[in-house]
Amino acid sequence: MFNAIGEVRTALSAERYIPSDEIATTVFLAEKLGKPILAEGPAGVGKTELAKVWAAATNRELIRLQCYEGLDETKALYEWEYAKQLLYTQLLRDKLNDLLAGVTTLAEAADRLASEEDVFFSSRFMLPRPLLKAVTSERPVTLLIDEIDRADAEFEAFLLEVLSDFQVSVPELGTIRARHQPMVVLTSNNTRELSEALKRRCLYLHIDYPSADQELQIVNLKVPGLPPKLAQQAVEMVQRLRGMDLKKHPSVSETIDWARALLELNARHLDRAVVENTLNVLLKFEGDLQRARRAMIRDESDRSRRERDESGRPRRERDDEGGRYRGN
Amino acid sequence: MDQRVVDFISALRARGVRISLAESIDAMRCVEVAGIADKSFFRSALRASLVKEPRDLPTFDEMFPRYFGVEMPPPLQQPGGGMSPEDREKLAQMLEQMLASMTPEQLRRLFEAMMTGQGMSNSQMRQFLNEHTSAMQMTTGFQPWATRRAMRELQFDRLEQLLQELLDRLREAGVSEEALQQMAEAARENREALAQQIGQEVGNGLLQHDAEERRRRPAEDLQDRAFDELAHQDVDDMRTVINRLAAQLRTRIALRQKRASKGILDAKSTIRANLRYAGVPLDVRHRRKHLKPRITVICDVSGSMRAVTGFMLMLVYALQDQISRTRPFVYYRTIADVQADFQQLRPEEAIRVVPERVKGGPWQTSLGACLATFTRDHLDAIDRRTTVIFLGDGDDHLSPPNPRDFELIKRRSHRVVWFNPEPPYRWGREDNHMHIYGPLCDAVHHVSNLRQLVAAVDGLFG
Ligand SMILES: Nc1ncnc2c1ncn2[C@@H]1O[C@H](COP(=O)(O)OP(=O)(O)OP(=O)(O)O)[C@@H](O)[C@H]1O
Ligand SMILES: [Mg+2]
Repeated sequence: MFNAIGEVRTALSAERYIPSDEIATTVFLAEKLGKPILAEGPAGVGKTELAKVWAAATNRELIRLQCYEGLDETKALYEWEYAKQLLYTQLLRDKLNDLLAGVTTLAEAADRLASEEDVFFSSRFMLPRPLLKAVTSERPVTLLIDEIDRADAEFEAFLLEVLSDFQVSVPELGTIRARHQPMVVLTSNNTRELSEALKRRCLYLHIDYPSADQELQIVNLKVPGLPPKLAQQAVEMVQRLRGMDLKKHPSVSETIDWARALLELNARHLDRAVVENTLNVLLKFEGDLQRARRAMIRDESDRSRRERDESGRPRRERDDEGGRYRGN
Repeated sequence: MDQRVVDFISALRARGVRISLAESIDAMRCVEVAGIADKSFFRSALRASLVKEPRDLPTFDEMFPRYFGVEMPPPLQQPGGGMSPEDREKLAQMLEQMLASMTPEQLRRLFEAMMTGQGMSNSQMRQFLNEHTSAMQMTTGFQPWATRRAMRELQFDRLEQLLQELLDRLREAGVSEEALQQMAEAARENREALAQQIGQEVGNGLLQHDAEERRRRPAEDLQDRAFDELAHQDVDDMRTVINRLAAQLRTRIALRQKRASKGILDAKSTIRANLRYAGVPLDVRHRRKHLKPRITVICDVSGSMRAVTGFMLMLVYALQDQISRTRPFVYYRTIADVQADFQQLRPEEAIRVVPERVKGGPWQTSLGACLATFTRDHLDAIDRRTTVIFLGDGDDHLSPPNPRDFELIKRRSHRVVWFNPEPPYRWGREDNHMHIYGPLCDAVHHVSNLRQLVAAVDGLFG
């Protein structure tokens, strides 16, 4: 698929995703070695998005399994379509009567029925769920197992088996093996410790908040039309907020939302009023908002003090220079 | 390069990063695929394959430059490189003569490295220091100091003297002063590089000891230490150990349940589910074999029992995803329902406040009376699916044994088990009523340390 890490970067960028070296390398390795990627990191740093753009960039179908507490094998793998089975039973009633004609005992009837049960427990009546879909797909797929940390440890143990040989067994149908090995991305917000066995099997990708440069690129890409100066200021501000001790730091998606809001407001630069009106896009907790405001006010007074100093100094310098000139 | 990656992996392990054999093989494949030309890609490849815990990332970031960065000792030069072929011949001869009779061996090795530019890899250097100095056996210490000591043991400062000797011999043999100066300069630079490498490896050795110490302490030792020795443990340490044990338990439980068979037919639920199909049993329901347990835990918080109660409650709360309902109680002279505390506070905070919810002081444990209060006020905490766990030494200083209420609890519940940290020979002596309650329980476990506690808790999950 890819011959060099640089190509991964180009391909993901073409899907409007700005990958760090770390991300590009890990995707490249996953392609070459066929290992799943386990992506961890704070909310909104592009874990889910990575799976989507990877699928798009490699022209694979994206199959998503969203995890939640209580998710179990059947919901992830397949379910029987009871209603359809029932409908068929009704429609085939006559046939069933034929089948059972001449039967005298209940046991005999049951035996005859049992011999036909394959009809009802065949793939015709099966409703494939994401994992089975990924395994049986005719075309190569990218399988996104989102927020695995929300599922129970029991499900994780089951998943481990699927990921180790990409085959699943359905008691009624036997073992089904993947035609193409899916590329797998697991994401986790680290709300609980995943098992070591699972981690050992994966390439581990810790996605952190992007650098200022990367974030500026992301903003330029996602919110074109925002004046460059303003984009720069906005990213600087977000990066500063991430350095502060807040309950929740703004994520990349919030930076994007904020940039959109600024564009919407037709703002020219980040003055106090603009920030005041839009800060709640970036910060969700009242305490965080207050803390950020206080920091801004502190900054502003620092800046005006500095400006005062600066406007004082040049005058002195000019005087000095004037003196020198006069002396010459 | 492979050797260097191997060295790097063992350095990470020494610093407490857990890397399996499979992962180290993966790392090699990753490096092969990503190449080594681009440092950033190379670094990412190692990081993705070796580090699986966010907490280990800083260690990786700190160690990587030591092995693959600018801090690598500069490659040694070849002294005498610019000499005429005859002079070089003379140098080689003289050097050989000197080396042949040079003792001790370690000095000979260093002088050879200095004069020929054939240095040692970091792991060779480590080995060398191990064999010839005591610096690597030092378990604690200050790196510059340990390095000085290693240098002294190696007689490192004699290298200058030996260099002078060689220069004299070559001078006598007619080698030009200019060539000699050049050679000496290169040799001295080599010596500096060697000194730097020694310092670095001594430092790594100290770090390694340090990490091994740290690693041994929390996980293994704590598990086997008696609870009263753990009473003054730092909360953070406690939480780390508990979380680690809980994670292990969880995996163990999950794998065991996974392997167990699917469960038995659940007739009632099957009939209910198939009413809509005119009673044709299309949708066959199985009873989940491993229903998550409901747990009511009744803990002694008298002085001697606080530590073990703390661990028990933290463990139970670390396993909440495996338990369908938890009802915690604590007792001393009186008994109290402390569920609210665990709903409002984090477990490590809750365990600190719950002893205040009951009355009592030294020699005032009143188990029998507490059982009576429990059956009067709190029987709603027990139903046919509940496992009741008593955690206590079984002492009672104020009331007579109360088997009647104990049996009532037993009848109402699924199972009653008792965890007792006191050694069995004390059960039933003096004020201890374990000989009364023990036989009424479905199981009694002696739990005097974390390992035993974890094993007992494991038994609660089918
Ligand atoms: N490197 C990036 N390049 C382009 N867009 C990005 C990048 N990182 C994040 N984004 C944007 O941020 C948004 C949020 O990303 P995403 O939903 O993937 O986050 P997440 O890490 O999965 O978060 P959560 O943990 O909340 O699920 C995406 O819609 C995407 O547009
Ligand atoms: Mg997501």
